[in-house]
Amino acid sequence: MWVYEKKLQYPVKIKNPNPALAKIIMSQYGGPDGELGASLRYLSQRYSMPYPELKAILTDIGTEELAHLEMVGAIIYQLTRNLTPEEIKAAGMDAYFVDHTTGVYPASAAGVPFTAAYIQSKGDVLTDLHENLAAEQKQ
Amino acid sequence: MNEKQELMKKIATYDFAIVELNLYLDTHPTDRDAKRKLADFEEKSGVLRAEYEEKYGPIIFRDTPEKRMCWIKNPWPWDLCEED
Repeated sequence: MWVYEKKLQYPVKIKNPNPALAKIIMSQYGGPDGELGASLRYLSQRYSMPYPELKAILTDIGTEELAHLEMVGAIIYQLTRNLTPEEIKAAGMDAYFVDHTTGVYPASAAGVPFTAAYIQSKGDVLTDLHENLAAEQKQ
Repeated sequence: MNEKQELMKKIATYDFAIVELNLYLDTHPTDRDAKRKLADFEEKSGVLRAEYEEKYGPIIFRDTPEKRMCWIKNPWPWDLCEED
């Protein structure tokens, strides 16, 4: 189980909204190499790990990835505050806005919704750890 | 940066070290130096967390069950306040 802490791992305070930047950063939230994929990857793989050290570290890293996900969500949320229709269009955020307005939705920068196909959980320790090494190279 | 934000930044700094030391100890559970550092940071973070919760409301709801209204209250961690 988890217990929520009412704080971010590192505070996020963005003074100037920037929807064009939000569109790009979105991929770190719900894109192919984003924090949602990272947390689900580790938290799913840990069940079949054969050594207790690995169950511990995948649980703890997966938990930390959720804290990263929350920070990226806060960044997107703050970058898309108080926008006018003109600003949304000029930033190329209109295609996102029509489906989600300024809600934070897990998708890639190109608008592809998050999918579990971004991760793997094979039940084999070497396969899964290699998957994780490769994933960390990409994010 | 106001007083509340400064206090939270200090907590976040200790807590980051705590999280990372804990990850290291998952695979090096007998490292006494790391365990000493972890205990030291836990203590320092604990003092600051108690001060923060006393002044600004709960970080973990169980710490201050009598402050139910404060748990619900804005700002939530992703909110940007006027004074920010």
